[in-house]
Amino acid sequence: MSEIKLGATLFCYGTDYARYEYDFEECVKQAALAGAAGYEIVGTQMIPSYPNVSDEFLGLVNRLKQTYGIGPVGYGANNDRGMRPDRDLTDDEMLADAIIDLKAANRLGCKVMRAQYMLSPTAFERLAPYAELFDVKVGIEIHNPETPSSPAMKKYLEVIERTGSKYLGFVPDFGCLAVAPNRPKWIRALEAGVKEEHLQMAADLRTSGVPLEEAEKRLKEAGAHPAIAGALQGMYGFVQFRPKSELPGMLEDLKAILPYSFEMHGKFHYLTEDCVEPSIPYEEILGMLKEIAYDGYIICEYEDALMCGGREFTRRMLTMEKRILGIS
Amino acid sequence: MGFAMRMPLNSQIIKPASVRNLYINGAKNGLEFDVQLAYYRGHYLSDIDLLEVFVDGERMPTEAVTFEVNGKELPIYKLSWAVTEFWSQVEPARIRVIKRGGLAPGEHEIRLNLMLRVPYMCIGPDHNYMPLDSGDVVRVEIGEEEQG
Repeated sequence: MSEIKLGATLFCYGTDYARYEYDFEECVKQAALAGAAGYEIVGTQMIPSYPNVSDEFLGLVNRLKQTYGIGPVGYGANNDRGMRPDRDLTDDEMLADAIIDLKAANRLGCKVMRAQYMLSPTAFERLAPYAELFDVKVGIEIHNPETPSSPAMKKYLEVIERTGSKYLGFVPDFGCLAVAPNRPKWIRALEAGVKEEHLQMAADLRTSGVPLEEAEKRLKEAGAHPAIAGALQGMYGFVQFRPKSELPGMLEDLKAILPYSFEMHGKFHYLTEDCVEPSIPYEEILGMLKEIAYDGYIICEYEDALMCGGREFTRRMLTMEKRILGIS
Repeated sequence: MGFAMRMPLNSQIIKPASVRNLYINGAKNGLEFDVQLAYYRGHYLSDIDLLEVFVDGERMPTEAVTFEVNGKELPIYKLSWAVTEFWSQVEPARIRVIKRGGLAPGEHEIRLNLMLRVPYMCIGPDHNYMPLDSGDVVRVEIGEEEQG
């Protein structure tokens, strides 16, 4: 019996929310209808009294829990190191702000807080005793292009292993396990007049390790439409991917940090009608997590690059996860 | 201007229906309008690097412009130091401009230059963060019977 629980971040509905098509209640309702057992809330996105949780907002959260059966399980923190006009925040200041985030997470009943790597390994370490008092585990998000074994993440791993704190860990985002080009960028490029053969050429150049500047040059020589730039930048940036032949090694990297990963982010950019994410190999990822009986939430997260709203894709995503994991 | 991120999730950044004259002691002497932050999350006002208003191509003096959110109306120079004032992305801010005579009946172009830092997206050393362009231009028709 797997202990995997499936949730959704309300960030999935970010476009609908910004357009006033969904209010907070509608986001919670849609997550429940999609099949989430709990949700993540991004503080800077949906808490009206940010960075504090007001009595009024807490009342709303609790009322919606009664109505729709789901409540917040994860708190998405932003670590705004650049929020002063004159200089970066110091570690002391970053720590103080992260403690305010812990209070918000605790008040909402979240047991996990996702933090970003603007919070330095030193400040992260100093946060541990506070996290323990609030009983909120803090995970550094591992977001593409970072990976579980990239140098920046290894610095946090060193802190986690040395301190042995049960309150410090990671929130890996499956986007870093992508093995094929991002579908929305591909679609957008086609719409802008880029030929599919040139997109395939770009993907092949990326897969074979050709540097970005060289790939740009060769595509230009091949007569590719200039609108290929966005898709190409993505392949080398936040939605980069590796050849599928490297997947077993990538999964081993993920396995190595699983003892410290108390929440996962199930990134998705697109789901076909038969519920397949074209760039992230969910069969293999979820298969592995099921096999080792991962215990924790997988919070699915839609990046709405197509700006079409999150309702349909989030439903498909949870349907896909449940099918692979055998959860009814 | 160099590269800046643009994320107009809502097609209306300046809300055209909100543009109207501002009355001082019963006389048209300015204008006001609402603006929604064009990003998926809110920002502290201290993330605002630039805020300028142009009416029909004419730059409004900085001291005549204010920014109001959370019930606080601030002069522009104070935004950089408003490190505790958070602007939610679903709460439009109100921009007020003192302008002698206000907007005459007819069509007007309102331009807002609004640049912010994305304070968690560091793109280089020395306090270098991803610029976010939340500016907008609207053309609005001001009617004869428009009231404040």
